[in-house]
Amino acid sequence: MNYNWDWSILVSEPYMGWLLQGFGWTIAVSSAAWLIAFTLGSTLGIMRTTESRLLRWIGTGYVELFRNVPLLVQFFLWFFVFPEILPDDASRWVKREMPLPAFTTAVVALGLYTASRVCEQVRSGIEAIGPGQRAAGKAMGFSEPQIYRYVLLPVGYRIIIPPLTSEFLTVFKNSSLALTIGVIELTAATRQIEEYTFQGFEAFTAATVIYSVITFAVMGAMRVVERRTRVPGTVALGAK
Amino acid sequence: MSDFDFSVILDNLPFLIEGLGMTFLLTLLAIAGGLAIGTLLALARLSGFAPLAMVAAAYTNFFRSLPLILVIFWFYFLVPLILGRPVGGFYSVLVAFILFEAAYYSEIIRAGISSVRSGQVAAARALGMNYWQTMGDVVLPQAFRAMTPVLLTQAIILFQDTSLVYVVGLKDFLVSAELVANRDQRLVEMFTFAAAVYLVFCLLGSYAVRRLQQRFAT
Amino acid sequence: MIVLDKVSKRYGDFQVLTDCSTQVARSEVVVVCGPSGSGKSTLIKTVNGLEPFQGGTITVDGIDVGDPKTDLTRLRARIGMVFQNFELFPHMSVVQNIRVAQIKVLKRPEAEAHQKALALLDRVGLGEQAEKFPSQLSGGQQQRVAIARALAMDPIAMLFDEPTSALDPEMINEVLDVMQELAAEGMTMMVVTHEMGFARRVADRVIFMDEGRIVEDAETDQFFGTPRSDRAQLFLSKILHH
Repeated sequence: MNYNWDWSILVSEPYMGWLLQGFGWTIAVSSAAWLIAFTLGSTLGIMRTTESRLLRWIGTGYVELFRNVPLLVQFFLWFFVFPEILPDDASRWVKREMPLPAFTTAVVALGLYTASRVCEQVRSGIEAIGPGQRAAGKAMGFSEPQIYRYVLLPVGYRIIIPPLTSEFLTVFKNSSLALTIGVIELTAATRQIEEYTFQGFEAFTAATVIYSVITFAVMGAMRVVERRTRVPGTVALGAK
Repeated sequence: MSDFDFSVILDNLPFLIEGLGMTFLLTLLAIAGGLAIGTLLALARLSGFAPLAMVAAAYTNFFRSLPLILVIFWFYFLVPLILGRPVGGFYSVLVAFILFEAAYYSEIIRAGISSVRSGQVAAARALGMNYWQTMGDVVLPQAFRAMTPVLLTQAIILFQDTSLVYVVGLKDFLVSAELVANRDQRLVEMFTFAAAVYLVFCLLGSYAVRRLQQRFAT
Repeated sequence: MIVLDKVSKRYGDFQVLTDCSTQVARSEVVVVCGPSGSGKSTLIKTVNGLEPFQGGTITVDGIDVGDPKTDLTRLRARIGMVFQNFELFPHMSVVQNIRVAQIKVLKRPEAEAHQKALALLDRVGLGEQAEKFPSQLSGGQQQRVAIARALAMDPIAMLFDEPTSALDPEMINEVLDVMQELAAEGMTMMVVTHEMGFARRVADRVIFMDEGRIVEDAETDQFFGTPRSDRAQLFLSKILHH
């Protein structure tokens, strides 16, 4: 193996700037996408557990559609195909005037895709509580929204803290796909450094360290939150 | 939408099918390699020998903390460097997928092995079976049966993930579709078609998973 | 045949067994009883090394179980064990369950192992069930298969760990009958059980355990007639009067 080591490039300009900016975009894409994924995914997950057949059907259809097309293809669909099938005015706006087109598309694509995964977690959390609690809520005269608000969701969300955390980390990692439509996030920035300096080892190591440190930090924080919020006598799904 | 052109799909069908072949080949080889290494990692983690278990756990947690694209870039860069000669994208990507998937498979297999009741191990030991006989004849057959639906689901995810070879330009199904799309300026048709093909295969796969789950449930 | 000398075991700070000493002679049947948590299941599992122990020695047929140089796998192949939850292998048919260790451990030819399996199934009254899977049998039938599986190894002794505790009441006797026959044929047996009727009919000696200690170790008649310890008396009065 013939390789000239030069770790100093990581702290020299412009490469350090690229890394920091890349990291910034990674965080921006992940958090914005997570916002969409969490709200939409929760709504869909609740829909899949309601007694309305139509709502359940919509939730199921969404999950089947979004989970069974590769995320990268979904990126391309939103970026290349979606603007074409819009009515003329809207199409022109998306193509010419929409601010930060690559970023916005990445957030939407990643958010809608992850919503299907969050949906499944929320559903399994609610289902894990069992029908007895729902019956007890009804017996006390709660309406269906009240049953969710006061009985099912407070327990359900606590149960799924671990899997939800790993979904968040999945968003964080999947945000790297944004590079395929031109967002220079962390992975893209390191690739760029490799191509400019041929110091691939150093560049990829930087990204690797950042991704793993964030992952382990988030997992650690999750354990603390999980312990603090645990309902006595319940076990978190997928907890180790 | 009115000018959706099906002929571009039909005209390029042989080329697209070739790409699909690459997608399946990559998926199958990555499953085989990932399962083999994943099983060893799981056995190492459950071995009770602390240093071995720690190495296996570190491997698994490390790879699971990284984006697949970064891993693909890593091996695309590393494999030729280590071998000292260019080897083409396929082998680099294959190594990346196998080592990456092994981490996920090892977690699935570990859960599967842990789901086999400890009494089964005691019974096999009481019959005088050694470690490998206990694992090979008693624990793993039961574990794999219990894991089959999860392993298949992971295979579907892997099938979708192979599309990420796009970042190094390996000619799989998606890259083939993209090449046609750009050459003939038919992005809408080609990407919609690509999505539909992936959707059909994955829906078939998840249907199979559900059938299996029902069979195991009874 | 089986000699336990001052066997002690702890999990962390928790002392599970303290100075347990007893012997089981060839062809002897010894019943171990006691309240739950008294350590009787743990004790019987130390005999074939399924549970490690820290103090004392156990020898089986002259072989030191606690010696790190002992090939436990080979020793276990010569001691039969029957578990509370049967532990038949669910992915194998009944006859495969009885064949597998004969072939893999004793290296018997398949045909011989198969013949032996069928003969033993006949003996426990399940000749018709050879090709079924464990989940298709009742609990009593499963436990009889488990006994046949252990016997297929031609064991020098049999250990039973609460063999009837997981069974519905109407199935208990079919299993006890098989065990009684086995005893009559001269098998060396150590049996953890709450079935005091069985103990009275079949056992040569009864061991009573409490809090990890052997409190009483007596001839069967003497144990049921005049148990010396208060705790054994109390246990017997509870278990016999309901």
